Amino acid sequence: MSLENKYNLKSPGVKRLMREAFELASPTEEFHACPLDDNLFEWHFTVRGPPSTEFDGGCYHGRILLPSQYPMQPPNIILLTPNGRFEVNKKICLSISGHHPESWQPSWSIRTALLALIAFMPTPAAGTIGSLDYTPEERQHLAKKSKTWECQICGRIADKLAWAGSDGSGHKLTEEETSLIKQIALKAEEDANKSEARPTTSNEQPSEDLEDGNIEIRQRITITAAHSSVSTSLPNTDALLTASINRSNKDQLWTAVIWIIISIIILLVIRRIFLL
Amino acid sequence: MGDKGENAGGCTMNNNGNQNQDELILAQQRQIEKEISESVPLVGDLEPVTSLDKEYSTDNVYLEKVKDLASKYKHIRRTRPDGNCFFRAFSYANIERLLESQNEFNEFYQVAESSKAILVDLGFPQFTVEDFYDTYMEVLKRLRDIDNKEDAKRELHTIFNEQGYSDYMVVYLRLLTSGQLQKDQDFYSCFIEGDRTITDFCHQEVEPMYKESDHIHIMAACAAINAGVRVVYMDRGTGKNCTEHDIPEGRTPTVHLLYRPGHYDILYPR
Repeated sequence: MSLENKYNLKSPGVKRLMREAFELASPTEEFHACPLDDNLFEWHFTVRGPPSTEFDGGCYHGRILLPSQYPMQPPNIILLTPNGRFEVNKKICLSISGHHPESWQPSWSIRTALLALIAFMPTPAAGTIGSLDYTPEERQHLAKKSKTWECQICGRIADKLAWAGSDGSGHKLTEEETSLIKQIALKAEEDANKSEARPTTSNEQPSEDLEDGNIEIRQRITITAAHSSVSTSLPNTDALLTASINRSNKDQLWTAVIWIIISIIILLVIRRIFLL
Repeated sequence: MGDKGENAGGCTMNNNGNQNQDELILAQQRQIEKEISESVPLVGDLEPVTSLDKEYSTDNVYLEKVKDLASKYKHIRRTRPDGNCFFRAFSYANIERLLESQNEFNEFYQVAESSKAILVDLGFPQFTVEDFYDTYMEVLKRLRDIDNKEDAKRELHTIFNEQGYSDYMVVYLRLLTSGQLQKDQDFYSCFIEGDRTITDFCHQEVEPMYKESDHIHIMAACAAINAGVRVVYMDRGTGKNCTEHDIPEGRTPTVHLLYRPGHYDILYPR
């Protein structure tokens, strides 16, 4: 690879990216990612829409921009294929649900990022910046269309992934990974929007009628996805609930105080008028 | 201490308008961090303790304390205040001291060698732990193979001032600390405020870079690499002397750190 002459191989960050490129070199059924020929710090990836969701059958392509300080700082993901869940051409980054991007951990990797992206797709958009709240029908339509989507650099993206039955089984999710992915949230860089916890609108119940019984890993991802949608929305609701309860308690107190003051003033006014 | 801890605690519950405010603060913080990184070396050269006088030329409370400090410590080595200062200072000072004694260094090396397996058993992702571990061991090996003590120390200094290597050393110590916390959850969980679990705490406050360290981080870091540290506190509190804390209590400290609110530097006893 020509990359080897171009970068300082002694730099641990470069070594790390080389390692990741090597690890991810062969595509799996779920995702594929590799660095551009001329830039180790920009990767292109393709992920398969999680089965039994409205993204089922879709292939989504995007870019990963790695900061020069990677892995100390998080990668940015930019989706290019219209998908109805994330805006295209907008940087999104990973964090632990409910936390700032600063909670990125150097022990996460590009693989973690892509698995988290797949798992995060079926979660409610909840108004987060960079998120889209398309209807399931629109998403299904986009999923169908995505199969013919082409990247100017990589070509037809549907060809990038391994197919069921082909030997992509070397990348099984470990238990730790499954639980790790559940904690990760993705959002666009600026985060000024309200994050209302809405009830799940999407129909992502993991239905049992998977045509292929042997795609165990895909099933597992579905379950993860369903889990993560629950686990990401629940704490949110909790936090919002407690916050609003606190607020309403405080509000009640203030209303009471204001009413007391008003009635005292009225009493004084009445006394003034009648005693004179 | 703990200032950063409260900060982070506050962030978890933020919603709506506050978030916007937070983002602004973060942006400003990043700007400040950038300015700092351009002006302060990751780990500085040895300076006499009395050089602290310059920072406090008009502050009598501090000047008294510097005098007290100078009576016990000869030199100070400043570190970059980037939130990693404790881990960087501790790792540096510990290895620097170990270079004095070949036996102790070898012992440390052996413990370090077996640390990866422990972390992987605890559930850390093997692929990335390996990445940090390999660099960590590479550094230790490089230092071990230098015969001359002074040359080794110079090499240590160079390595710790190379951003890539230096940060990798920090990450690995953070991982070891996190591992220690999770291994002894029962003990450490009583030091955590709120209803966070140890694992949450590690994911939010220990493993991410640039997160500042609290007492609990120091306790776990000491246990993880089997070292004792004396933290000398210098703040505007009453009294003419700096307060000292040995962690773990009762153990003869091998590393001495100066703590001023929000920051750690390395101290060298007389």
